[in-house]
Amino acid sequence: MISSSRNPIVRWDYVVDQSDSILAALWQHLELTLLSVLVGLAVSAPLAALALRHRWTTSAITGFTGFLYTLPSVALFALLVPAFGLSRVSTIIPLASYTLLILVTNIIAGFRSVPESVIDAANGMGLTPARRVLSVQLPLAMPSIITGIRIATVSTVGLLTVAAIIGQGGLGRLILDGLRRTFWTPMTVGAVLSILLALALDGLILWLGRAATPWTRKASP
Amino acid sequence: MSRVTTQAAVPRDTTLWEWISDPETWTGQGGIWESLVETVVLCAVVVAIAIAVAVPLAAWLAHYRKGELGVTWMVTLSRAVPTFAIAGLLVPVSLINGWGFEPWPIFIALLLLAIPPIYLNTYTAVRGVAPGAVDAARAMGFSERRVLFEVELALATTLIFAGIRVSAVQVVATEPIRAFLGGDGMGRYVRDGLGQNNDTLLVGGAILIATLAALTGLAFGLIERSVLPYGVRRLKTSQAS
Repeated sequence: MISSSRNPIVRWDYVVDQSDSILAALWQHLELTLLSVLVGLAVSAPLAALALRHRWTTSAITGFTGFLYTLPSVALFALLVPAFGLSRVSTIIPLASYTLLILVTNIIAGFRSVPESVIDAANGMGLTPARRVLSVQLPLAMPSIITGIRIATVSTVGLLTVAAIIGQGGLGRLILDGLRRTFWTPMTVGAVLSILLALALDGLILWLGRAATPWTRKASP
Repeated sequence: MSRVTTQAAVPRDTTLWEWISDPETWTGQGGIWESLVETVVLCAVVVAIAIAVAVPLAAWLAHYRKGELGVTWMVTLSRAVPTFAIAGLLVPVSLINGWGFEPWPIFIALLLLAIPPIYLNTYTAVRGVAPGAVDAARAMGFSERRVLFEVELALATTLIFAGIRVSAVQVVATEPIRAFLGGDGMGRYVRDGLGQNNDTLLVGGAILIATLAALTGLAFGLIERSVLPYGVRRLKTSQAS
């Protein structure tokens, strides 16, 4: 039976009973998401720097990251399995690749939005190029970069559930497990928690971003 | 409750080339042609409905300068629709209502994925039409309806089709998760390859999925280039992004 009283959308006694494994899945989801976004940032920073320094490389870089973004997730997870097995590496490489487009685009946009006059002023004050980048351009580019990190993180939380097909994927495994057993509770819990996690991280990064860039706040009346 | 899906039966020592060049792989039951039709039909219906919903709504709202906030929402949504979670949540709903395991959950999840790019591009394109062109049309006595259809939408064509292309590629690229939600389609070979620990099926299936997504992008790129209205093509206003 599908909708009998024994298989409602959520069976709370099961949730309480399995709270340890549910929390473990949530934790794994958070961990893999953060790792993927960090790897994505580590790769996109030099790519964006290259595009900013040598303008002619921009279209090649955005073209390549755009191409990565269109690769089907099921295909990318699957293609890495023969090489890396059902592992975290096979999970993180695709997810990090998907973050590159938005991260590179937003880092470039952030730096390009810094007015020429500000850069001239910084140079005129005798700042070294390294200090100018770190203490003038980077802070001014921050709002755009943080928006990129937010969108990348939220979409990674969603895409990670698909990694359940290669035995990873944190909350996605609860979804797949529920589907295989036609038992709705783990499925509902996995799906709802993954959506809540995305919303929570979105809010958290938004808040952290505002705290880190106090000058973007509107003056209080 | 049983799902009727036939598993691909391919010996593990078959090479990728042997598998892909075997006519049986293509025409047999659960063959590539059958899976292709399944996938293409579902995706075509999803994209068609997404166009029918998103284009008129976005064009109308943009024409009357309404719903600016909706755009901000759509930007976030366009990147973050958790298709797998949504489809998963819809499976029990679908079953309890007697609509079956498939394909309603994946259909609705894909539709939510397909709408934002089309909506966004239509809205920004219509909103971004040069005010001079609209004013000129009004001064010539065009009705609001003609302004929308013959000026705004005509000038927005390229961007609208770019949105449709992005949307179609995303839908085709995401549809394979259907194989893990109790259905079949092009994702079945990856699913069976994983289930049987068979790298030939796994890699072959992945290549098929990726190829289909790439071909979809190419096909819609060609359509995009051919639909430009004659007058706009002459102006060479390339506002495509």
